[in-house]
Amino acid sequence: MNRKNKRILQTILIVVVALGIIVGLYLYAGQRAFVSTIFSGLTLGSLFFLVAAGLTLIFGLMDVLNFAHGSMFMLGAYIGWQFYTNPTFIFGIAPLALAFGTGVMFISVLKPYLVAWNLSPRMQKLLPTIAYILAAVVIVFAVLGFDILALADTAMVAMTTTTVGNPLAEISPQEPLEEFWVRPVLIMLGGLLIAFGSSKPGDKTQYAPKENLGKAILVPAILLVLTVVSVFIRESAPVSVLLMNGNIRFLLSILVSVAFGFVFGAVIEIILIRPLYARPTFIILMTLGLSYVIRELVQFLWDPLTYQMARPPLFAMPGKAASIGEWLRNGNSTIDILGVTVPTYRLFIIALGIIMFALVTLLMTKTRLGMIIRAGVQDPEMVEAMGINVKSVFTLVFALGVALATLGGIGAAPFLPVQPLMGDAYQTQGLITVVIGGMGSYVGAFVGAMILGIARAFGDYFALKLSLSPAIAEASTVIIMVIVLLTKPQGLFGKKE
Amino acid sequence: MSDVRHDDLLLVDHIHTYIGQFHILEGVSVRVPKGSITVLLGRNGAGKTTTLKSIIGLTPPREGKIIFDGMEIQGKRPYNIANLGIGYVPEHRAIFRQLSVLENLKLAERKKGDFERSSDFIFKLFPDLKRLYKLPGNHLSGGQQQMLAVARALVPENKLLLIDEPSEGLAPILIQQMMEAIETLSRTTTVLLVEQNFIMASQLAKQFTIIDDGKSVSSGLMKDLVLQPEVIHRYLGASIKTRIELEMEHESKE
Ligand SMILES: Nc1ncnc2c1ncn2[C@@H]1O[C@H](COP(=O)(O)OP(=O)(O)OP(=O)(O)O)[C@@H](O)[C@H]1O
Ligand SMILES: [Mg+2]
Repeated sequence: MNRKNKRILQTILIVVVALGIIVGLYLYAGQRAFVSTIFSGLTLGSLFFLVAAGLTLIFGLMDVLNFAHGSMFMLGAYIGWQFYTNPTFIFGIAPLALAFGTGVMFISVLKPYLVAWNLSPRMQKLLPTIAYILAAVVIVFAVLGFDILALADTAMVAMTTTTVGNPLAEISPQEPLEEFWVRPVLIMLGGLLIAFGSSKPGDKTQYAPKENLGKAILVPAILLVLTVVSVFIRESAPVSVLLMNGNIRFLLSILVSVAFGFVFGAVIEIILIRPLYARPTFIILMTLGLSYVIRELVQFLWDPLTYQMARPPLFAMPGKAASIGEWLRNGNSTIDILGVTVPTYRLFIIALGIIMFALVTLLMTKTRLGMIIRAGVQDPEMVEAMGINVKSVFTLVFALGVALATLGGIGAAPFLPVQPLMGDAYQTQGLITVVIGGMGSYVGAFVGAMILGIARAFGDYFALKLSLSPAIAEASTVIIMVIVLLTKPQGLFGKKE
Repeated sequence: MSDVRHDDLLLVDHIHTYIGQFHILEGVSVRVPKGSITVLLGRNGAGKTTTLKSIIGLTPPREGKIIFDGMEIQGKRPYNIANLGIGYVPEHRAIFRQLSVLENLKLAERKKGDFERSSDFIFKLFPDLKRLYKLPGNHLSGGQQQMLAVARALVPENKLLLIDEPSEGLAPILIQQMMEAIETLSRTTTVLLVEQNFIMASQLAKQFTIIDDGKSVSSGLMKDLVLQPEVIHRYLGASIKTRIELEMEHESKE
């Protein structure tokens, strides 16, 4: 009872202090500056939340701190920007990526048969090795002479030509189909070889029932169809996408970026993180290394330059809208709220953050997956012993977390300069958010992100007004973290263990 | 090598289990005939829990065989083993504290509708749970948590239940209720029970296996064991004390 009272008192104290600070800021800054700073704060907070939500879910369930999260945010921005500006690159590499995925996913069909093979222990060791070597050779042949840099450049070409004329008039660097088709076929073969090797033929200790074949064939079959489709639309699709309404194109960019993040996250978890769960420090080093690899890859493809993604038409028309209705009709770039001019794109980011928080809440409280995650945070072994495949839940949660990060990236792309380091600041703020909110708590991530965003915005405001160094603004979030940790070491919504 | 007899639901055959580099089980064999309760007896730290964990696959054995329902299950992933129809009730009331009672039960479903099918039976065994079903797990008393832990294993259709020390830390009246519940559920499901309360074990179980220092040292019918005080004394020693005595000892120490 006593402890409960103390908790209630503490909460009341925090609320009172927070209200006091808010009222004080309002009186000091005046309504206009206050409202506009709050809006910048909420915008930042939304982005912080999108980064922190994934970090905290992944940490809560798997105890993995993903130091590549910021790079994944950045990658999401690049993928979305590419798709929005000129999807030639995305459509150009999609057949290869899909073909590889198809090959690898056939593992679910192959495995039950390969496992049943009668092989000597020597062969059991030898066959996978041979398969991997062959796969490497085949894949090298498949991509030999594939001009990925020319593909990657198409978006830049499109950008420079938009003002001059028609971006669609650009010649496509795509190979003709009669030369190209060999590549996806070879890559799929490479994927199949990898599937062959990693299903450990002859190793009968594995559990691979043949009964579920109908289900097992579903995913590779869908991927196969997608691969074939992607081979044929490779040249025509970019043009059709560019002819679409810009808002729809932006929506598609978001979907592409999220889908990419999901698949990328799943692949990273399966290949790189899964073998290391027993060695947490290795995972940290691995994700750190991964963040550099991603950054270098992006610089290789798109040069270490800074790009600005055009805002979609809904947020592009110069001029201020007087009401939300007017904005939605005309697509103004700013809107009048309480006498303050607020960029409409900020409202979009804020809405995105709130919607994603609502969706994450629904997922965690109302769905079976959410139940499994909450149970798994406490005791993954017991969840597994109840008949739930915890490994695949880990993969799913990692994929969802990365998808949230890439969503944040594409959301931020029309608003922040797109460049290889754009995720770093967000990763740092995301980590601080997670610490403030409590490791593993998505509610904490939301509240923490909003507090940090607003603190940061007011820090910027004061730095400008009192002509202090902008470092003050950056320090403000750290100061808040220190205060929170001193009063509540588990964070605002953290559970004591 | 022991052979599987036709009425064996589970046969644990000379398993060796390691935790890290520690050789915990050094040859444990347990035979669990269909349709009755078999109890694992042994001192603290003998390896009873590890035996159950080896069966469900949480600490897979390195050597030996585990045959369930005619199928070798050693080395399979725990979720695969559970889905063959084995329910596991861990020691120390390992329920999910952040989940409500209802969610704890719902999570145990393997097929849609498992909970609807079994809820009447569960609430008849543990009427308390019905009243509490909205509460989060960490608001339950120790006894209620233990009941929830058992109830959870009754949600899906299981052929075998592994129950680890269900009477641990319960008040005498609750021990009685738990015994009745296990007796009732054993009419429909085979049970492998770990129980240090010898009185409870001897009333419930038909077969026993004694584990001592990581090895199974004796097994047979419970009705024969109660006639062999020297075996009981040699391998079980203090653990034949009733739970009440242990509890009193515990309290006097504090
Ligand atoms: N994670 C672990 N690391 C090292 N040793 C362990 C671990 N878990 C258990 N052991 C050891 O394995 C032995 C068997 O443990 P187990 O929990 O199976 O015993 P038990 O018979 O269930 O005992 P109790 O009656 O106290 O529950 C003990 O000596 C214990 O110290
Ligand atoms: Mg034990």
